Amino acid sequence: MRTRVLVMVPVLAALHGCRQVAPTANEVVALRVAQMPSAPGDGVWNTTSEYTAKLLPQDLVDPRLMQSSTQEVRVRALTNGSELALRLSWLDPQVNDLPGPGRFVDGCAIQIPRTIEANPPDPQMGQAGRPAGIAFWRADWQAAMNGRKDDIRSIYPNAAVDHYPFQAQSLEPGSTVQQEMAMRYAPAAAVGNRRVGPRRSPVEDMIAEEPGTLSPDPAGSSRGKGERTADGWSVMIVRRAPEGWGPKTRTQIAFAV
Amino acid sequence: MARVYNWQIGREMSYWYPEHRPQKQFAAVFDTNKCIACQTCTLACKTTWTSGRGQEYMLWNNVETKPYGSYPLAWDLNLLKTLDGGKWNGGRYEGRTIFESAEAGERVLGWRPESQDYAYPNVGEDDCAGQVDAGAYMNSPHMAWFYYLARICNHCTHPACLASCPRGSIYKRPEDGIVLVDQSRCRGYQECVKACPYKKVFFNPMTGTSEKCIACYPKIEQGIQPQCFVNCIGKIRMAGFINKPQNARPDNPIDYLVHIKKVALPLYPQFGLEPNVYYIPPIHVPTPFTRQMFGPGVDAAVKTYRNATNDPDLAALLCLFGSSEMMMPQFRRQGDVISGIDAHGNTVVRVPVNEPVHVRPAYDRLYQIQRTNCP
Ligand code: SF4
Ligand code: SF4
Repeated sequence: MRTRVLVMVPVLAALHGCRQVAPTANEVVALRVAQMPSAPGDGVWNTTSEYTAKLLPQDLVDPRLMQSSTQEVRVRALTNGSELALRLSWLDPQVNDLPGPGRFVDGCAIQIPRTIEANPPDPQMGQAGRPAGIAFWRADWQAAMNGRKDDIRSIYPNAAVDHYPFQAQSLEPGSTVQQEMAMRYAPAAAVGNRRVGPRRSPVEDMIAEEPGTLSPDPAGSSRGKGERTADGWSVMIVRRAPEGWGPKTRTQIAFAV
Repeated sequence: MARVYNWQIGREMSYWYPEHRPQKQFAAVFDTNKCIACQTCTLACKTTWTSGRGQEYMLWNNVETKPYGSYPLAWDLNLLKTLDGGKWNGGRYEGRTIFESAEAGERVLGWRPESQDYAYPNVGEDDCAGQVDAGAYMNSPHMAWFYYLARICNHCTHPACLASCPRGSIYKRPEDGIVLVDQSRCRGYQECVKACPYKKVFFNPMTGTSEKCIACYPKIEQGIQPQCFVNCIGKIRMAGFINKPQNARPDNPIDYLVHIKKVALPLYPQFGLEPNVYYIPPIHVPTPFTRQMFGPGVDAAVKTYRNATNDPDLAALLCLFGSSEMMMPQFRRQGDVISGIDAHGNTVVRVPVNEPVHVRPAYDRLYQIQRTNCP
């Protein structure tokens, strides 16, 4: 099982123009490229340096995580000037991409201030009155994007389903009446909770103003992709760069796995 | 943690939030002696609320066969194993509640059920084993007994589900004390699933949120009892509102049964949630078992119930169960008839306590026909 509560650590990011690439770095350096990567395995990622961020357990708010299951995450960054691409890689021998009671799927998140400023919001979920942008990738959403069907048998192959009222023969599939009936039995969908599938992206944009305030960012446009590596996950998240982003600007980013 | 008063354990206790009782508290009494495990309540709920995708194995109402049955699997045993419990001093519980037993970094002592724990809702719990060969017999180390325990969310006064949610997505309605998961706020962290000792919050893998019994609040708002109550074949259920013991009203059915007659008892009061579904305990079950399940009032409750035929008000009130779909926050007995009265003071039903008995002769002279009387 993966860590169930986000684990975050602040790191520094800097934007440079074209420069000599170092294999490791002591901060995340976003290298300027003409063409943004389309997958975590793109060769262009090899042109930039890698920063290893130590992860701290979430021990600020109860329930706290006393011991984290992932110790560190390796980070690379690229930019085309208007967007920022980050690739997070971590060790995880076991794939957890099935939701269910007592199951927690693999996932990662990045928190980036919305504007470049000297004193950015708190790295752990922002702070009151100073929202931070968060992009959240999950393995179950990625599985859905990779073609896994959005139904119970995709999660429990032997599940027995007697009958769904919204599949009654008298209801024409796709008709308004039929869709209303389906909503009646999916209250979270009926009230527009974006946790509900079907998904259009494996990445969700969120805003947070302190722990417990995470909410969807309707203006978010992040995209991404996660892939299994030989020993874990490699996940790419591309999002709009913060306001005021330019060559040699520095800001603070937090990661969670 | 704040300090709150829990009358069911006769003392103050620690709770995540300060005490905040609703204006009215939804409550219910279930008479375990009348349940036949027909599961009509389970299906009434299922067809009304949980027929959606991801709810296939979700039963907001379930009926399990005690002592061995449970849904989800071992919901009670798993907690009893870890809770330092069981110490009662009269009406005062001196062990630790689940809030007082929380481990470092946790708000509540809980455990996480897994998918397979939901896979056997009363499958075979009370089936006979088939034909017994002539002469075969079994020596059991236990007395032979079982009973049916119907369960819904207890809409607790100090809910563990609500206390555990780091997002504050669970709330208790001030107007009736019903506990709900805000489906627009929930992000499926499952802390509530872990925390509820009765395991009455369920994770829906298709919506990614946690869902629970809503006490059919759209019906309650109209003065009508929930689905599992009005469909109950055994007429074991009565829904209403409960007052604090010091404000108990003798004409309120729930207050009368819980506070005045003390014949209906909370389920595992030692957990510390002040649950609001009260059970008339089974009268044929050894009390060491029922005492750990319903608290130290069991012996007195069984005695009172057994004596109901000599207690006209109690006997009458037990006849009001299942007699109307309307909520009856008030009752009045006149002679051999009990009336259920709604919130506006209108009589909604009148029930005779003793049904008239007609004995029909086996030979019908009028039609000159022989009839068979069933015993
Ligand atoms: S029974 Fe469980 S779900 Fe219901 S209010 Fe109590 S703690 Fe919450
Ligand atoms: S409908 Fe009534 S009698 Fe039947 S199982 Fe449910 S509680 Fe028991």
